[in-house]
Amino acid sequence: MSIMTIYHLVAIFLLCIGIFGIAYRRTLVGIVLGIELILNGAGLSIMASAQLTPTPNEIGQVGALLVMGIAAAEATLLLAILLVVSRRFKNVEAGKLITMRG
Amino acid sequence: MDNLASENLAWVVLFGHIAIIVAGGFITVLSESLVRALMGLILTLFGVAGLFFLMAAPFIGLMQILIYVGAVSVLIFFAIMLTNAWPGGDESGNISGKKVIFAALAAIAPAVFLGSAAIRTAPPSVFVPEETQVSELGKFLLEPYILPFELISLLLTVAMAGAVILGFERRKKK
Repeated sequence: MSIMTIYHLVAIFLLCIGIFGIAYRRTLVGIVLGIELILNGAGLSIMASAQLTPTPNEIGQVGALLVMGIAAAEATLLLAILLVVSRRFKNVEAGKLITMRG
Repeated sequence: MDNLASENLAWVVLFGHIAIIVAGGFITVLSESLVRALMGLILTLFGVAGLFFLMAAPFIGLMQILIYVGAVSVLIFFAIMLTNAWPGGDESGNISGKKVIFAALAAIAPAVFLGSAAIRTAPPSVFVPEETQVSELGKFLLEPYILPFELISLLLTVAMAGAVILGFERRKKK
């Protein structure tokens, strides 16, 4: 097993535990935590693929930076959406939000 | 002798950070209190930052700490605070066993396929990665990768404008 496979298995672990969190959590904030885990795993995987093979290192580093930028933008928007949902429905449990209309 | 010692140290650092990531991941998804879950997420983020340092990319590791631990987790803290987190754990109460089984199945399915693919098709990898100068990274970002760079700045602007508009929505109605 090459050293890159270890990093990739860690990234796959982050993906799987994030999917488990999304399916298992009841509140929307818990689901956001799962999404952050998945995005972090994606960054780790991109980074390991470029850094530990003959591929130019800059591609992996810039890719990881772009993933971080997308995660920051996504967290900002999710905070606003959670705010609106909690104002309108008075709770943020995924099972209780059964209507999309305000 | 010296080389062997540093190689052993590298393995210890690698598996130590992997242990931190695994522990933090389980705390994140299984903890009853959302604040504790967020602490688990921060632990995981620090572990991934350590792996970035180990891959000879200190700049990205520092960016990970700055952006994720510094900004994103504070945003999620605000989300927990502003959405009426109630005492006794937001995720407390009995969760049906059926849900746990389905969630575990959803998690295991990609693990099996992606894991076997990653093990079978792994190319030979170098043991000691080279460090890239930050100036070269900046040049790369501004010459061949200028379009993604501009697009990510546009995305961040739009996301922040959208967040502000969503935040003011209620007041306009009244």
